[in-house]
Amino acid sequence: MYPRNLIVALLLGVALAAGVLLSLRHSNDAPALKTATVLPTGLELPDFRLTDHTGAPADPSIFEGQWDLVFFGFTNCPDICPLTLQVLADARRRLAESGFEPLPRVVLVSVDPERDSAESLGAYINSFGTGNLGLTGPVTELRKFADALGIYFNKVGTATDFYTVDHSSVVIVIDPDGEYRALFSSPHVTDQFVHDLPILIRS
Amino acid sequence: MNKLCLAVLALAWVAGCGGNSPAAPLLVTDLDIRAPRPGTEMGTAYLKLTNNHDEALTITRVSSPQFGRVELHETVSEGEVSRMRALSELEIEAGTTVHLAPGQKHLMLMQPRAGAGAVSLSFWSGEALLVSVTADSGGG
Repeated sequence: MYPRNLIVALLLGVALAAGVLLSLRHSNDAPALKTATVLPTGLELPDFRLTDHTGAPADPSIFEGQWDLVFFGFTNCPDICPLTLQVLADARRRLAESGFEPLPRVVLVSVDPERDSAESLGAYINSFGTGNLGLTGPVTELRKFADALGIYFNKVGTATDFYTVDHSSVVIVIDPDGEYRALFSSPHVTDQFVHDLPILIRS
Repeated sequence: MNKLCLAVLALAWVAGCGGNSPAAPLLVTDLDIRAPRPGTEMGTAYLKLTNNHDEALTITRVSSPQFGRVELHETVSEGEVSRMRALSELEIEAGTTVHLAPGQKHLMLMQPRAGAGAVSLSFWSGEALLVSVTADSGGG
């Protein structure tokens, strides 16, 4: 017959060990981001004055109230821009099909305001699906917005009359408070967004 | 001598079936034409180019009846910055395939002359027509 104190001690020890093992197992099950990089703290946006694709004025408050996936590109971009916007549209569609809420909005900010009027921008982004947002406006305001997010863009003349614009290809994630929270580096793959967005949005 | 040989080959093929054939010096496969999207006059074409000739082929020009200007470009990623550069020519080594794919090399289709529909592309080496292909355009 063992002393009662020893039995109690053994039972407590087993209970403690079980508790530790269960908590370890739970933390190993927590989903981890595969691609997105999260900023240490949310970054407030600069006070820009742009125009959205309907021609209405747009300032940073336009990013409040929903999650936004923001890409800086231009409509005369033949490759990277339509490729990225299609990836984002496909990711959004797959999240919708899985019943995930809230769905993020896709935003294209033009780095080519000379050619990207509100009208052409609207027609372009609407070709990728409904509910997208386009922003254009004075290049000084676009530069102010881009600089704050660490986005680079530069107009480049090619050998012909047509010009192109070099630009950062990251996708910026802005939260419902209108703050810059995370980014996705290229190359962009639909599966990466489908995996990481629910984790980002629910965290 | 080499240019003459190439021209004769090309002429012989053009005089033949006039389309993509295994005997043609340049074979085009997986042609994917994206029509200009609303709000733009910029289309894109992706494809694979196989050199069936026993010497390197150099594409110096691409033309299309449906577009006033066709250019070959390459997307180059330098860190997080995406740049696009025009390629004045594209050399394909003998017996090899070059893939024009999203995020890499691609054809820019500019100054559209017609609405959405079939698009024909002709690949030239100097004055020699290497191959012409036609495909329906998708997207847009």
